[in-house]
Amino acid sequence: MITSVETKTLLEVKNLSVDYSAASGAVHAVDKVSFTLKRGEILGLAGESGCGKSTLAYAITRLLRPPAYITEGEVLYYPPEGRERSPMISKLTRANGYADNSIDILQLTPSQLRRFRWNELSIVFQSAMNALNPVLSVGTQIMDVLKTHRPEMGPDQRKRRATDLLNLVGIASDRLKSYPHELSGGMRQRVVIAIALALNPELIVMDEPTTALDVVVQREILELISSLCRELSTALIFITHDLSLLLELADKVAIMYAGKMVEKATSKDLYLRPTHPYSYGLLNSFPNLHGPRRNMGGIPGSPPDLRAVPSGCAFHPRCPMAFGPCRSVAPPLKQARLGESGEDAQLVACHLYDPRFAPGGLPTQDQFAAGYVSIIKGGKTR
Amino acid sequence: MNVLQQRPYQPAREDPTIPVLEAVHLRKEFPVGQRLLGQRSSVHAVEDTSLALYPGRATALVGESGSGKTTVARMLARLYDPTAGTIRFHGQTVRLSRGSSALRRYRQHIQLIFQDPFASLNPVHSVRYHLARPLRIFGHVKNRVEETQQILTLLNRVSLTPAEQFIQKYPHQLSGGQRQRIAIARALAVRPDVLLADEPVSMLDVSIRLDILNLLLRLKDEEQLALLYITHDIASARYFADDVLVMYAGQMVEGGPSEEVTQEPKHPYTRLLLSAAPDPERLKSGKTGIKEIGARGEIPSLINPPTGCRFHPRCPHAMDVCRQRFPRRTELGNGHWTNCFLYGDGQDTTPASAPGI
Repeated sequence: MITSVETKTLLEVKNLSVDYSAASGAVHAVDKVSFTLKRGEILGLAGESGCGKSTLAYAITRLLRPPAYITEGEVLYYPPEGRERSPMISKLTRANGYADNSIDILQLTPSQLRRFRWNELSIVFQSAMNALNPVLSVGTQIMDVLKTHRPEMGPDQRKRRATDLLNLVGIASDRLKSYPHELSGGMRQRVVIAIALALNPELIVMDEPTTALDVVVQREILELISSLCRELSTALIFITHDLSLLLELADKVAIMYAGKMVEKATSKDLYLRPTHPYSYGLLNSFPNLHGPRRNMGGIPGSPPDLRAVPSGCAFHPRCPMAFGPCRSVAPPLKQARLGESGEDAQLVACHLYDPRFAPGGLPTQDQFAAGYVSIIKGGKTR
Repeated sequence: MNVLQQRPYQPAREDPTIPVLEAVHLRKEFPVGQRLLGQRSSVHAVEDTSLALYPGRATALVGESGSGKTTVARMLARLYDPTAGTIRFHGQTVRLSRGSSALRRYRQHIQLIFQDPFASLNPVHSVRYHLARPLRIFGHVKNRVEETQQILTLLNRVSLTPAEQFIQKYPHQLSGGQRQRIAIARALAVRPDVLLADEPVSMLDVSIRLDILNLLLRLKDEEQLALLYITHDIASARYFADDVLVMYAGQMVEGGPSEEVTQEPKHPYTRLLLSAAPDPERLKSGKTGIKEIGARGEIPSLINPPTGCRFHPRCPHAMDVCRQRFPRRTELGNGHWTNCFLYGDGQDTTPASAPGI
């Protein structure tokens, strides 16, 4: 089942699906999503609310609670080689029994999961500002992680590590004794990032970590995240609805719509030549700071109700380019341009790029623009 | 005696150079905490702010949280009483005392749209109720037939079609964008001259934000509305507004035509704000990763704000004089102005009521 996977791969998600069980039937929040993440890579997940980006991240981290259930798929984690590891990882890989040392996160038992989390994978939540305990000093909260996961560390060592961590995120170490209410929003966010880094994990998942912050502070936090990830070669999955911010931060960006990944590309490719009509529309929803002032329209309509996802391509009711097969056949995620392969190839789930359906050649950016203009002028009900 | 007492009032729509609503040297302090040695401390939320709104023109007020931008809007809407300063409506000073009938007449002309469409609509009432109330309170309808007719017209104007279906819906049956359209329709029902939109799209999904902004722009043109658009997103301010005003910690630091302010920013804070805003165009320069920005830090406490120019502790160009007093306004031509000693100290200061502020 597992083909030769390069050692560069850190995480491989295969056909992951998540359902929320509801009285009116299952809601397919994440639908057969597959992707790989390299070591030290920053992957951005973008999409509108309800597109399944947070659910996907929580599925990877095994944080979902009923009524959400993972219905199928694998999340394979490849522990790094040659790095000093606690014995638990080697135990885990043997227990899982994969030939190439991978661990299926979805198969971990609760106690294995407890050892796996934070050692290998840590999480920064959406309301990171509220993630801190208000009655404990930030030093206690950082050292708490070390106490639990590094029992061999003595109190002095823990304190030294906590001081180092605060310095790493740019906070003076005398703040160890501060309580969360004594810190500003940006500083609290830095502390949460310090806690996420405490055990040198290979992967950090951040779910909208900067939405509650002001622009300037947001920028500082992004700078910090960007430089730390490169310095420590930590991989990052960064979830946000703000595509314009993501393009600057991430190496690769994946766009989600109605539980499916519709496009994945390097941020430069995605910005300069988006291939999915939805990605184009999403990019066109952010007014630009420089260059000519254009008339922009966003994407008419609203994201679908996941209880009744449109047939075929879920985006077809809002798509300016929709044609026959879009209504009946769901497009798979594959190379946008034939002959292009490799890890940086632009992937898209759209029939416009399938020679069987659209023999007329690949669509251009101008055609997307004209398509959106005509549906906006057409005054479709939204 | 007051223009607000003439009803129905027909504004002079033909002259776009005369401001509809003007705020002159507005100041607002919120008292806080206990008396300390006989002196009560207060939050200096807004200092000496002047602005003018013109018919058919959108003005954006840009700033971070705590900059006082919402306080300015709430003073203009008379939800807060200014501590000092004057508000002029069609050239007439608005009495600042709270009298319910005077206030109601004032609000017939000035309407506010709030940030959160989930909180600003009453969940137990239908769309009809929300739109019928302003129509009845301000006497725009005489009977139920007329009321239904007007509600349907309003729904059509905010592109909620088929209107017959939307009229009986409840807020929970609507998406965020649709709710914000109801909130806009409710403001329009009053037939205002001025619309104050306080972050009207920041709670909405990215793909529908522009839709709502475009709707506001269309209504502004159709009705010759004077629009104040409050936002923290300077890129959307550039897209939406004719003029941009930048606020920092309760002080207005720069303003002018939006192209000038966003392309040729003068005040160091405006520059910081622009360099911090996400801009994928930077990808084209080939650099990856996030670039360093000039200044750091956060908005200071407004209980004990820095003296002089409140930006000086973060300003890379701060001079001694910046700590002593706030610079006067310097005109840079083309209606572009800034309050910063780097560009002088207001040699040709113009009175606050002059056009272009």
